[in-house]
Amino acid sequence: MTVAVRLPAAAEARLAELGTVDVLIGIPSFNNARTIGHVVRAAAAGLAKHFPDARSVIVNSDGGSKDGTAEVVAAAEFTSPATILVSHPLSAVHKIVTPYDGIPGKGSAFRTIFAIAARLEAKACAVVDADLRSITPGWIELLLGPVLKESFDFVAPLYLRHKYDGTITNSIVYPMTRALYGKEVRQPIGGDFGFSGRLARHYLTKPVWESNVARFGIDIWMTSTAIADEFKVCEAFLGAKIHDAKDPGADLAAMFVQVVSSVFDLMGTYRERWTAVAGAEDVPLFGFPHGVGLEPVSVNVERMIGIFRQGASDLREVWQKALPEDTLAEVVAVAEAESRPFHFPDPTWVRVVYDFAVAYERRVLPPEQLLGSMVPLYLGRTASFVIQTAESGPDQVEAVVKGLADEYLRHKGYLVRRWGHEPGGAPCGSS
Amino acid sequence: MWEFLTEVIRKTVSGFGERMAAFGPNILAMLVILAGGLVIAGSLHVALKLVLPRLGFDRFAQRLGLELILRKGGITRPASAAVAVVLAWAVLALFVLLAIGALNLEFAMDLVSRTFTYLPQVLIAVALLALGGLVSAFLRRSVLITAVNAGLPSARLLAGAVHTALMVLFVAMALEHLGVGRQVILASFTILFGGAVLAVSLAFGLAGRDLAREFLERLVRRPPEEKRDELHHL
Repeated sequence: MTVAVRLPAAAEARLAELGTVDVLIGIPSFNNARTIGHVVRAAAAGLAKHFPDARSVIVNSDGGSKDGTAEVVAAAEFTSPATILVSHPLSAVHKIVTPYDGIPGKGSAFRTIFAIAARLEAKACAVVDADLRSITPGWIELLLGPVLKESFDFVAPLYLRHKYDGTITNSIVYPMTRALYGKEVRQPIGGDFGFSGRLARHYLTKPVWESNVARFGIDIWMTSTAIADEFKVCEAFLGAKIHDAKDPGADLAAMFVQVVSSVFDLMGTYRERWTAVAGAEDVPLFGFPHGVGLEPVSVNVERMIGIFRQGASDLREVWQKALPEDTLAEVVAVAEAESRPFHFPDPTWVRVVYDFAVAYERRVLPPEQLLGSMVPLYLGRTASFVIQTAESGPDQVEAVVKGLADEYLRHKGYLVRRWGHEPGGAPCGSS
Repeated sequence: MWEFLTEVIRKTVSGFGERMAAFGPNILAMLVILAGGLVIAGSLHVALKLVLPRLGFDRFAQRLGLELILRKGGITRPASAAVAVVLAWAVLALFVLLAIGALNLEFAMDLVSRTFTYLPQVLIAVALLALGGLVSAFLRRSVLITAVNAGLPSARLLAGAVHTALMVLFVAMALEHLGVGRQVILASFTILFGGAVLAVSLAFGLAGRDLAREFLERLVRRPPEEKRDELHHL
């Protein structure tokens, strides 16, 4: 059952005017006037170039921008003389610019996009961030093509990233998603996705639009829902992802709590599903993976290790609430080890994450406190990863990340046993 | 003479007998109320010890940090057992008051009446202390986690200071509510707080003169750029 989503009168009138479309590009925005013009033009060029026969619409779902974002979208010209297209669209690319209704957040913006996709009976949809600087028309083909031409329901992005970028993704979100739901989706919280109209309608039936999914957890929710509810999933290689510059002082703890709580919340929702899954399989990949030079990233490893060691000393009383004695003893041993280089072993890290997931489910502490106390552990693990891969090339780094993901799989039995309220459990395969 | 003595003794004995006859039912009532109180308090104790753990009270108490507070206070039994004991004793105390009231003596009636007038203040003070324990434990943990994540070296000290300050505040509020030595509490609080600030100021200004200068210099001058992480965590 699809829940009706309230749309402004102007948007309703535009929908009535359009009738139906074949493809839809959604762009959620909030104060993105600087970059959204480029994103809209790239999307329109991609539609014109790769889907010239399709009736298409670009939807900007805005969160009340004050910098003229909506005006920039409304004024964006699709037929710039500078744009060279091999094919020319048979029908014009339409635009809908509308504020969304509901809790402020990317999820509410997406809900409006899903609702418009459902109303227009779109066959294929894509959502792209409004602050992208690296989007090209080729992204549109890669996100929509697998849906229109190969009948996939969900296209996850695969970006080219620096080895130290996406450390929460690499150490928690990717390996957890893979181990839980059994699909090799490398960047589950990428932010730019393709999906079928059928999946858009399915998303609308879920009762999550008053929860954190509406605020900040939409990316992992879309990926996990698509996999767990057994839709056809694939990946598309999009190249490098470059955003508009963000605040470098953004609070890591708040961001960490948001992302990890979204993953853990979904574990509660899909418990029946993930406890029955064993192993993980690759999903088809579209696009042509290639390497390009990425700017070096500066990392203050000593500071990370310092915070981890301080956590081991000062937060032990908090960690005791989440970690069983043996895991806690291992963590303390890692913190107190004098040997160089600093090393946080994969099995210890995996058990830490699984134990925190169980503690989160059991509500042993308020979520902000529980997951906030996990930040020093994450920094310790990240420092260890940076040291381990200091001299490694992209393929070697990927092998390290895959190794960790396999460790998550090997310990899944431990998670299942602890989740089922058993006090402890040995890793799968160990006696 | 003998007859007079006999008459006095007879009157005394009969007077005592009459007073006993008049007062006896009161004593009997007191004993019955006390016995009833013992039975009810005992039953309540047993019932709470059985029911509370099944309702998940111990887990709830653990989550609120109540168990930790009890453990720090030397109480090692489960929170449900501690609550059962406290409530049983409270019920017994109520019956003791009723029993004393049954004697119908002037001082006893006065005691009962004053106790019942004072009881709401006691309950509010107890509630204030319990709330203070919970709030200060919660904020202590929040401050500790935030300070560690920010890399502050004195995270525990900071968290401990927040906890102590809040507990002192709640204890002072509870005592103020009970009306126990209002002036003394106010004066003690003012002296202690003023003294602490003065001691810190003196220590910082005299003993730690160089440190104070460095601190002020750091406040005024632009701090040196710390090597910042450029990695994107997501």
